[in-house]
Amino acid sequence: MQGIERLLIELLLKFTTAEQLNAFFGNPRYVALLIGALVAVATALGGVFLVLRKQAMTADAISHSVLFGIVAMFLAMLALGQKPDLSAPLLLAGAAAAGVGTVVLTELIERSKLVKNDAALGLVFPFLFALAVILVTRYIPNVHLDADSVMVGEIGVAWANANSHCLANCALVTITADDPRARIARRCVNCAAEGISPRDPRAIFEEYCSNCGTFSAAEAWQRRLISAPPELVFIPRALMPLSLAALANLLFVLIFYKELKLASFDPDLAAAFGFKPALLSYSLLTLVSLTAVAAFDAVGAILVVAFFVIPAAAAYLLTERLWQMLAIAPALSVAASWLGYEVARLLDISIAAAMVSLLFAFFVLIWLLSPCHGLLSALIRRERQRRLFTEQLLLAHLYNHQRTAEAESESARRTLHEHLNWTSVKTARCLARLRARGLVDFEADRVRLTARGEALVLAFRAELMAR
Amino acid sequence: MSPEDRRVWRFIGAVALCMALSVPLSMALGVQYDYTLTHVALGGALLGALCGMAGTFAVLRGQSLIGDTLSHAALPGVALAFLLFGREPLALLLGAAATGGLGILLVNWLSSTTRLKQDAAMGIVLAAFFAIGVALLSYIQGRADARQAGLDKFIFGQAAAIIARDVVILGAACLLIGALLLAFWKEFKLLTFDPDFARVNGLPTGWLNGLLSTLIVIVCVIGLQLAGVILMVGLLIAPAVAARQWTRRLEQMIVLAMLFGAFSGGSGAVLSALERGLPTGPLMIAVACGLVLVALLFAPQRGVLWQLRQRRRLRGEV
Repeated sequence: MQGIERLLIELLLKFTTAEQLNAFFGNPRYVALLIGALVAVATALGGVFLVLRKQAMTADAISHSVLFGIVAMFLAMLALGQKPDLSAPLLLAGAAAAGVGTVVLTELIERSKLVKNDAALGLVFPFLFALAVILVTRYIPNVHLDADSVMVGEIGVAWANANSHCLANCALVTITADDPRARIARRCVNCAAEGISPRDPRAIFEEYCSNCGTFSAAEAWQRRLISAPPELVFIPRALMPLSLAALANLLFVLIFYKELKLASFDPDLAAAFGFKPALLSYSLLTLVSLTAVAAFDAVGAILVVAFFVIPAAAAYLLTERLWQMLAIAPALSVAASWLGYEVARLLDISIAAAMVSLLFAFFVLIWLLSPCHGLLSALIRRERQRRLFTEQLLLAHLYNHQRTAEAESESARRTLHEHLNWTSVKTARCLARLRARGLVDFEADRVRLTARGEALVLAFRAELMAR
Repeated sequence: MSPEDRRVWRFIGAVALCMALSVPLSMALGVQYDYTLTHVALGGALLGALCGMAGTFAVLRGQSLIGDTLSHAALPGVALAFLLFGREPLALLLGAAATGGLGILLVNWLSSTTRLKQDAAMGIVLAAFFAIGVALLSYIQGRADARQAGLDKFIFGQAAAIIARDVVILGAACLLIGALLLAFWKEFKLLTFDPDFARVNGLPTGWLNGLLSTLIVIVCVIGLQLAGVILMVGLLIAPAVAARQWTRRLEQMIVLAMLFGAFSGGSGAVLSALERGLPTGPLMIAVACGLVLVALLFAPQRGVLWQLRQRRRLRGEV
């Protein structure tokens, strides 16, 4: 991880200076927005496929069992005598393994045909979570399993949790007694032992070096041993795992686009083509687990589910095309995380929760207003259909009776609604619409089809017959 | 009553006897049933029995994860009730029930009006409601002393803090829900196994569905404070899944689920009292999952071992 960070810094320094980098990464707003955007992109891409494959709740399960993986690896590292660090690669790997393990275990239980899929999922992840809580309270009593850090994450203080990288003046400084910088002092050798004051004539003195030793560049600068301070760049610790997760998701989707598309919509056909949908599915879920772990620090275990599911679901309501979904979902998610940050600062509430709340607000808006799958467009479509149907019914009624003996009574304006068994209001409205379009005409007390109205009825009939 | 039924009833009787005997047995092994532990164990057992009742229907209707959605969706209700009415336990319960119910309605509405499937709808509602709840909680904590609010226990649960009043509430809920289930037994049974036939026969399926969902909401909301958001779903599902393996009849399944639930709840409490620092809620889940494992392996006619034996016998015959 450190090596990759180093590479990234060297790349960035080609375009900017170290001061600018430090100013950027030391700014809580920029860092929170950057990390929010990375979480949004990394999760939304995988989320699209989760939603399409009806595995949204699997994401929920994975994000919970990840905790078990983290705790188990934490304990394993303690047992091996290593100093456990919450961002160590081993810890991340263990957490991702727990996520995939959840899926494998669920499928094992499901394959026994004794338990349905959703029940199997609902057994596995609470069990792993319970195990994690027991392990934490039993063996790691000093680490307070804080509700906030598990559920909400710490995106607001991500900037403060940083790794430092030294660029120049980094050499270790070693001072020996013959160095010109060595500070030579005198001390009394036998004062303490004999209980005499240093002024006593019996006191024996020796010279010694008070600042000899090896110092890191930063320590050396603090002790004024070097003339120029070391040049340091601070990189937020959460940045690298999240960037890698975003990159991995992006590459996975780009490289396996065709395979993923086919396996998501028609797994049988994909299998027949030799695409190995099971392998693809496991790779996807491994990636989801890794992404969930990387995002865990920033937005917490439960809220990360929202980043997986909500943007993808919103995009699903907006478009029919997979590539459009893959473009809309991250864009929506990035926008929501940016706005969410501003709202959270304004109201002084949890940043990750505000991001998700805005994401949900976006989703509700799209649900209402989406042109193809929205509630409003469905309502309008249904109303239009209803109108069309009443109009055609009325026109057909007039047409059927227009040259018959009972034409007089069947098309009387006052009593027309009785024949159709409608309310008089509905009939009057329908008539007014038809008259405005020149399809019917009023003749004294009678309703008469115009030539255009008759042509319309005939055309409609022909169309029905053709069907 | 067929011989198979009779056998299962005898098995249920044996299970009940074993579980009843586990109390004196644990006493003999040195568990001290003091005032606190008695209440916690009794409360846990009642909660388990409640979960068994509600979980049976949730599992059979293919809505196992609804408990997960519901318990997450209850959080904003708790926070809102706290903002409006302060630390009034009844208000908190009602608030939780209100947004939990709203969450379920929204899941049904989303999956019926859009092309999103139920799992996506549940994921959306679960995470979004929880986020709104967390946002409200962070607002409350910004205003008042967080300790004073003490709403954190809704996330992880505090089974060890069950007091006499909780036991009374749990007992009353058990009686109420038991009575409702008995009153609408025939209807619920039909609704669970053949909803289309129920509708064709003129049963008010909308109302009955709502009633059944309300029962699950009540159980989840009561359990939430004791077991916590995440473990609630496990406690709802595990006893029912375990019970399902031993029987093919609804009445047997629900009795067995109640027994398994009560045993998990009670023994979880007792186990956590054995040593300091063992959390009660997770131990209840662990026991319940142990019961599921036993059922999956050893249940006659369905269990994994039985299937293996059957396969070997068939191979022998061939």
